[in-house]
Amino acid sequence: MPYYAKSEDWLHQSALLLQARPSTTRITTRYHLKPARRVPKPKKSDPSQPTTTTQSTQPQQPSEGKGQEEGKPPRGRLILKTFDPCSGATLKYKTSKAAEVTRLIQMLGTLGRRMAGVNVADEAEDEVMADVSTPVVEGEGGVGVGSGVQTPTLGQTAGGGGGAAVGGKEQAQQQGGGGGKGKKKKGKR
Amino acid sequence: MGHLTNDEFFTKLADVFNTRKAKAHGAIYLTQKRLSYNTNQTPPSPENEEQDALADLHPSQPLPLLVRATNGKGKEHRAAKVKLSTVVQPDDLAGFYARYAEVCKAGMAALKPRDRTKRKAKAKKRKGGGGGVAPAS
Repeated sequence: MPYYAKSEDWLHQSALLLQARPSTTRITTRYHLKPARRVPKPKKSDPSQPTTTTQSTQPQQPSEGKGQEEGKPPRGRLILKTFDPCSGATLKYKTSKAAEVTRLIQMLGTLGRRMAGVNVADEAEDEVMADVSTPVVEGEGGVGVGSGVQTPTLGQTAGGGGGAAVGGKEQAQQQGGGGGKGKKKKGKR
Repeated sequence: MGHLTNDEFFTKLADVFNTRKAKAHGAIYLTQKRLSYNTNQTPPSPENEEQDALADLHPSQPLPLLVRATNGKGKEHRAAKVKLSTVVQPDDLAGFYARYAEVCKAGMAALKPRDRTKRKAKAKKRKGGGGGVAPAS
């Protein structure tokens, strides 16, 4: 029951498992909240307060209350699990970062396409087209490295949209597209 | 319990997320798998099972997906249990997942937001370090 450190690894292995057993494998996403059980530390204000009179206890209580409120907002966890009851294979990935949610759901989408038996190649071609079109716009700006820098920012602003978020495969295709673009450039020059 | 349409599913899923937010603890389970029940009307005969096992890998037609959502309530809280399920046709996959991502992102608000304070601190350190080093040398 391994946890993968990278979501890309999880995606890759899950894709392989789905390829092997597409009809029995299921993917469960568990989102759970835990009340934060951080013990509020006695703050440095404590040693300073004995010097003052007993009235200081009144300001102290609100400060403690604040500390509890700060600790209170519960932390969420997101666990992705690919499970095949036939072979008992389980692949897991867990995260607590909100920034990853969109990317992970897109991964669920790509895996869902595999699950449904839709030809993944058709969709991938479309995305390659989109990827090629973006560097062409940036082509005037300069070298291919520049476009490589700009694509991730696109993904961030669009909430993980585009090819960069979907996974290793499409990243590879991006690189392929970039290479093709470079050749075109050389031809033009 | 019958399957909901995709729209109903999303509205109810958003409700589930909202109640979870209000209670500040608990879990939500989302599951997806190929809808293999009731798809082929003829049950596979044991002779053909070998063939079927292989035919599984390359279905002639894209199959629908079954997406479920529960709030993870067990026996003791059976009354409070929410079970949602919907069937996604292969043609709708892209649209479904786009909306799915929206709903999930909106619902999973308790995850850590992107932390920019560390980066700022690092940048400050670099600036401060550079300024400190220059006069010393």
